[in-house]
Amino acid sequence: MSNGKVAKDVMVGIFEYPHVPYWFTISQAIRIVKVSFLSAKKYPEPMAVLVFDEKYNLMGTLTLKDILKGLEPRFLKPSEKAQVPKEDESTLSLIWDTLFTKESKELAEKPVSEIMVPAKNFVEPNDPLTKAAYLMLHNDLVLLPVLEGKKKFVGLVRMIEVFDSISDAILKE
Amino acid sequence: MELIDREDHQKLYLQLYEILKKKIESGEWRVGTQIPTEEDLCNMFSVSRATVRTAVLELVRHGYLKRQQGKGTFIYRNTISDGISMLTNFRESMLEETTSITTNVLARTVMMPIDELDIKLNIPPDKHVIYIKRLQLKDNEPLIIQESFIPYHICPLLLEDDIARNSLIDIIEKKYGIRITKVRNLIDIGYLNTDEARIFGLPEGTASLVTMQFYYSGDTTFIYTRSVKKPGRFNLLIEFERKAI
Repeated sequence: MSNGKVAKDVMVGIFEYPHVPYWFTISQAIRIVKVSFLSAKKYPEPMAVLVFDEKYNLMGTLTLKDILKGLEPRFLKPSEKAQVPKEDESTLSLIWDTLFTKESKELAEKPVSEIMVPAKNFVEPNDPLTKAAYLMLHNDLVLLPVLEGKKKFVGLVRMIEVFDSISDAILKE
Repeated sequence: MELIDREDHQKLYLQLYEILKKKIESGEWRVGTQIPTEEDLCNMFSVSRATVRTAVLELVRHGYLKRQQGKGTFIYRNTISDGISMLTNFRESMLEETTSITTNVLARTVMMPIDELDIKLNIPPDKHVIYIKRLQLKDNEPLIIQESFIPYHICPLLLEDDIARNSLIDIIEKKYGIRITKVRNLIDIGYLNTDEARIFGLPEGTASLVTMQFYYSGDTTFIYTRSVKKPGRFNLLIEFERKAI
């Protein structure tokens, strides 16, 4: 289905993305996103930052959506326990103006490790691309790390390349 | 004349760099004189123009050669340290017995430059930087917390080197062939943050000596280090000596 392609055929290099250690704050990560992508007018899909530990092991990824979610004030986050009907969200309109302003500034000082998506799933360079696709779909991932020997981080598989390869195979068949 | 060894695993431009450097350091090529043209060097060593150009650029970067627009490339200096004794590591800066000094690597990772690190290292703000944090102890007492920042492209394999037992400067000079031409020290008083206070076992906010060092090779800054020294354990000695003329 993926034309016999394996992860290493489509992966991108790890230096395509900014690196940060897990103790960086969200506001530091925001500045890095601005410098690396927005100011540089580089818009890769997805726009993400890679989070590493102090031994340079990949810990997780951070997309723009993860950053904004991390800045959302706690009181606005939906609770599974609260029995709030959906339509009641409209009554919150009075506070839209203050969303992402007050509490968010404090939240921006949290370390990125608290809001990143942990890197729990990965593929080996010679794993079939279909395995990468399966892991990405079933774990809702936009980036999938490629580890050599389950340890050395050598690349990233992105949804765009997975889609391209699989769609090519579909259209041919 | 020393020639390029094509059986040698070392890259041709590095071999040529070493040969030319020896000519300069030995005085065979004298300070102030012009070096042969690219074409002449190609013929002398049977190498391509690209190899010559890269080797010459390295010598310029390391401060041995200077290019003059429209005139050519000249020998700028034949020694790099020029008689100045530089304190480049902890062992040299301690006046006491130093046999029991140990180094713990607290972190070695890669990050993006923040807090004007790009300006300090003179690199674009979207370039990756190697970050190394080490703790130096004497008789198991933590004495110096040192953070080092090195542009990743200068020595990409540095993360794999033994930085606990070897001086960072030694590794960079010997393994990567980057020669220090200048060290600029800035000395300041800082206040211990939570992490530093915990390591030293002192109250947060205690005043401490902080040294910031910029290491240069030619015009390139290749390391910036920030060292926080345990209060009460260091003196600062600055000695000047007139150079013999």
